[in-house]
Amino acid sequence: MTGEVIYEVKNVSKRYGSVVALDGASLKLHAGEVLGLVGDNGAGKSTLVKVLSGAHQPNGGKIYLDGVERTWGSPREALEAGVETLYQDSGLAPHLTVSQNVFLGREKTVKGIFGTMGFLARKEMEHDAHEDLERVGIAVPASDRPVSQLSGGQRQAVAIGRAVAWARRVIILDEPTNHLGARQAGEVLHVIKAAKAKGLGVIFISHTLPHVLEVTDRVVVLRLGKIVMDAPTSEFDGDRLIGVLTGTIQTVRVEGD
Amino acid sequence: MTNSNQTTARKPGVPAEQKPVPLALTARISTLASNQSTILIGVMVLLVVVFSVLEPKFFSALTASNILTDWGSVVLIAVGQTFVVISGGIDLSVGAVIGLSGVVSAWTMANVLKVDQTVSGSDASGPLLIGTLVSVGVGLLVGLTNAFLINKLRIVPFIATLSTMGAALGLSVIISSGQPIGSANNFDLIAAMDPKVNPLSWALIVVIVVVTIAGLFLHKARFGLYTYAIGSNTFAARGAGINVERHLTLVYALSGALAGLAGMYVYLRLGAGSPSSGTGRELDAIAAVVIGGASLMGGIGRIWGTVLGALILFTVQSGLIMVGVAPDWKKVVVAILIAAAVAAQTLQSKNGRK
Repeated sequence: MTGEVIYEVKNVSKRYGSVVALDGASLKLHAGEVLGLVGDNGAGKSTLVKVLSGAHQPNGGKIYLDGVERTWGSPREALEAGVETLYQDSGLAPHLTVSQNVFLGREKTVKGIFGTMGFLARKEMEHDAHEDLERVGIAVPASDRPVSQLSGGQRQAVAIGRAVAWARRVIILDEPTNHLGARQAGEVLHVIKAAKAKGLGVIFISHTLPHVLEVTDRVVVLRLGKIVMDAPTSEFDGDRLIGVLTGTIQTVRVEGD
Repeated sequence: MTNSNQTTARKPGVPAEQKPVPLALTARISTLASNQSTILIGVMVLLVVVFSVLEPKFFSALTASNILTDWGSVVLIAVGQTFVVISGGIDLSVGAVIGLSGVVSAWTMANVLKVDQTVSGSDASGPLLIGTLVSVGVGLLVGLTNAFLINKLRIVPFIATLSTMGAALGLSVIISSGQPIGSANNFDLIAAMDPKVNPLSWALIVVIVVVTIAGLFLHKARFGLYTYAIGSNTFAARGAGINVERHLTLVYALSGALAGLAGMYVYLRLGAGSPSSGTGRELDAIAAVVIGGASLMGGIGRIWGTVLGALILFTVQSGLIMVGVAPDWKKVVVAILIAAAVAAQTLQSKNGRK
């Protein structure tokens, strides 16, 4: 079902002053795999996400993309290498239209001298944005509407659609179903499945355990900065996941390969 | 929620039998009615009618020319301010920059280029061109200083530009010893600025061209898109790979440079560089931007709105004087206009959210 390892971190650590946020965490992500990353508040999820997305540099450990060791100086570098990250509640500029958001940072310009001066091919981007979003299963209203006029669920769908449309290797989704109603969350999970079908490696971070159990192939549990469990989703049910998360069930670490 | 009205909603099972045309038409009419520029044009027409009824002499080419000539200096800094405000900042230094750039430019022309009353006609073109470059350069320098304070020292734009405003005012008084510099009144080009001689002076045409180009870059090009994106959600802009600091540097540099150009414009009007020539103009610029529909929270604003906002501002000022209202009332009326514009905006966005 899943392909070769595309993204891997080995033994990464991150300290903020004397606080150890991440303590020797290792994980592998395969092509076409949805990896759930769960943990209680303060378990180190956000820190791991920031290391994976290039926002923070780890104090120790190595990062490999497609088997090649990489260090990210900025999120931009990770982005250009094909690693897209969607942070919770922050992905879009509300005053810009759907298509402007989809293409932000990668605009298409008109041909010729005006293109060199940065003049934009608005119609083309509106058309393409619509197609890109539809391809990943998102039915958004007209792409020339400002994002502020969309509902919360539509916004999130656009943000995820944008990330999935652009991601070439890996997509990291930080709490994408937060604050969403059941139907809207269902749409988001549907988009995640589309990303998986596209052969992307997906890292799905969520507090909503039923969503994790529904959409992931494998679950990695973080506790106090350490990875305490890494196992196929089929080995979990809701109770067991909560037990591992909170530490009431002690685990022997399982390699997820 | 208005989602159900969307003609583009794509639900596979629902046949598209509703005709979207009448809906689109009413939607278009209601958009037009609530459109900021429609409202502004309406206000503008109303003002002209009211003032013309009260004082028939108001409705004349000379009045229009006077208003436009006044408008020229402020619309330049208001356009720069539009970029800054859309990016989520504010630039209080632009008025002081008008004074400083005018003084430095006049000083350069008088002391370095040795221009005096004997220079006239086409002999003046060269010095004036150099003077313009100096003036724009001074503005650019202040703009870059603002950007440095904001990006590197992390000072909020209000305070950063307040301090450069003070510095620019002080420097212009020091350089000029508090007196206007320049005795260039013989320049044909300056004479041509007189609204009585020339209703649409060449300097005004330059202003209109500059404003148009700025508008195209704001609304049609990447530069404008990034300005909106940063003002709308800096975090998202950064996440999309935009170099926010670099872009803000360009925005404040643009605002400064336009203020420098305005400094030269005012020099041409007065025939001298005076340290106080731009005093309070930054508030006119902010007023024009706000009346034009921009939000000081960032992310919202249009060049066309600013252009009309500035025009309304000067129409009111000149109209009040012509109908015999004491000039002291001018500021009160402008204050009311600003409050009304902001109130209208707030109401509009509340309605939009319903």
